[in-house]
Amino acid sequence: MNTIIQAFGLVFAPDVLIAIFASAIYGLVVGSLPGLSATMATALLVPVTFYLSPIAAVATIITASAMAIFSGDIPGCLLRIPGTPASAAYTDEAYAMTRKGQAETALGICLWFSALGGIAGTLSLMVLAPILAEFALSFSTYENFWLAMLGLMCATLVARSSPIKAIAAMLLGLLITCIGIDNPGGVARFTFGSTDLLGGIEPIPALVGVFALAEVMRALSEREPPKLEHRRLGSILKGQIELTRKYPKQQARGNIVGIIIGVLPGAGADMAAWVSYAMAKRFSKTPEKFGTGHPEGLIEAGASNNASLASGWVPALLFGIPGDTITAIAIGVLYMKGLNPGPTLFTEQASSMYALYIIFLLGNIIMIPLGIIMIRLASRVVGAPRSAVMPVIMIFCAVGAFATAGNNLFAVWCVAVFGLIGFVMEKNGYPVAALVLGIVMGTMVEQSFVTSLIKSDGSILPFFSRPVSIVLSSMTIAALLWPVFMWSMEKLRTRRAVAA
Amino acid sequence: MTPLADRLSGSAIAFLGACAFFYGSKLPPVPGQQVGPSAFPMVVGTGLALCGALIVLGVGRHFEEVAEADVASHSAPEDLVQPPAWRAWLALLPPALLMFYALFSETLGFLPTAAIMVVIMSTAFGAKPKLSIPLAVIAPFVINLIFLKLLRVPLPAGLLPFPW
Repeated sequence: MNTIIQAFGLVFAPDVLIAIFASAIYGLVVGSLPGLSATMATALLVPVTFYLSPIAAVATIITASAMAIFSGDIPGCLLRIPGTPASAAYTDEAYAMTRKGQAETALGICLWFSALGGIAGTLSLMVLAPILAEFALSFSTYENFWLAMLGLMCATLVARSSPIKAIAAMLLGLLITCIGIDNPGGVARFTFGSTDLLGGIEPIPALVGVFALAEVMRALSEREPPKLEHRRLGSILKGQIELTRKYPKQQARGNIVGIIIGVLPGAGADMAAWVSYAMAKRFSKTPEKFGTGHPEGLIEAGASNNASLASGWVPALLFGIPGDTITAIAIGVLYMKGLNPGPTLFTEQASSMYALYIIFLLGNIIMIPLGIIMIRLASRVVGAPRSAVMPVIMIFCAVGAFATAGNNLFAVWCVAVFGLIGFVMEKNGYPVAALVLGIVMGTMVEQSFVTSLIKSDGSILPFFSRPVSIVLSSMTIAALLWPVFMWSMEKLRTRRAVAA
Repeated sequence: MTPLADRLSGSAIAFLGACAFFYGSKLPPVPGQQVGPSAFPMVVGTGLALCGALIVLGVGRHFEEVAEADVASHSAPEDLVQPPAWRAWLALLPPALLMFYALFSETLGFLPTAAIMVVIMSTAFGAKPKLSIPLAVIAPFVINLIFLKLLRVPLPAGLLPFPW
């Protein structure tokens, strides 16, 4: 009880409340601008969090990402252009409702069920994390290695791309972490005589390059989105209670799927929305209505992507394994702030953990009033010209990376190079999220791998003989072989169809 | 047949993996230990070489086609029209400008460097001077103010230091 009171004290400090409020507005604005994703919003926030207290820093990330995921729905509804990739799955549906003259209902669904989904996700975080923490305390380097491998494999499994390309992207990320002298032998690896490379590649400049600069590059090669005309909207929350009562199953399913996908490493809000939309359609009594402005899919997917946000923090806090690209950034911030991820976080810093839960709940509650204001102002914000927004973001990429890397211009080079890498990879169907996961987890994977091998005198047997190791390793191998299985099943089915 | 882009990127990945393997194998071992700094790059290099080869052979291409069809069915028809080819090259501008920043910001100072970058970028996005010039004056100034006053990060002063 004492820790809970302490946690409230931590959250209701003036600097934290200001941080929550400011980052909420920031997240709403950035999320609603087409082409600027929630991940980008978070990546650009990191330099700012550098100079905040630990709780305020984590609060900005939580609030900004939740707001951005919701407000990505606004241009999707009104313009048929998803503001963030997480809204892409149901943009058509929402726009169809707008065309039928139900824009306020569509936006209301997005807002209301986003907030409810976010709260459900937070509850799952509160329940799951302590249980798993107890379990995780007994892990040794073998288990940590397999857990990290399982995380990396999940990321390649859920990427909407070729699994081989996803694995290649992930391995590329692991290779990048080999650079520098931070390795078991303390020798300079892949530095090619450069003193800047001795310290290795920092994850933050790499993330800013891949998620922010690459987005600016993509925007340059695409045409300007159409202007949004001003539209009078009726009451936004009207009818939402009835919809909540009418579709309890859809909502529950959306929340649960979102939570599960959030916990899976590497799979985030966009994946949750795609899966939930498909599930809503599959199990609907009226699947023919989908795509014509039907609320069912919108409810399920809108709840799902926000639910995945909070549960993505479960593996991040417990094992330092990011649940999605946003928590990949958050892990960097946690380390920076001395809140090193791990099961001990729950015993030694319990009040910080409770504070984190409170921030999640608070963020999802203030989403409703702030979201309504945002929807009303949407025609002004969404219409901001790209020619004014993008140059500012580019400058922020440069200065932000420079500031996080201890005022070192090498970080600016990193942003430029990783922007190029991210852009080229995206164009060729290599998922950048897998690359980022590799970069974030590389050092940990290598450490647990090499330490385990040293402990066992070079034998790989203990990797498979300890009880928890067996389970984790077979899950990893199953994740590796799953695409092969899927592919052969499909082959078999088509052959049967041809024969029949 | 595998698309040309896949054959190229796959070969590049396989080559990179092979390089990582050989570079890793040359690293000095830690005396008295079997496993040292060379193990991880060699494992990762092998994996990359393998993946590269599979990509060249077109394994897994099928999954991409399914995802592409899914995205295509969800996007507006006008989004699927390819913009002209020269626009793709324009994408190289932001990293080029960041390199310009890395090379010249210390001598020129943050305000002039950022102003030049903003003018070039907003013009590339199709802004008229009516927008790009005021933006180039105001935006770097505000960003400098935020970083200097709020976050206490000194940005390069160069020729034109921040006025206070």
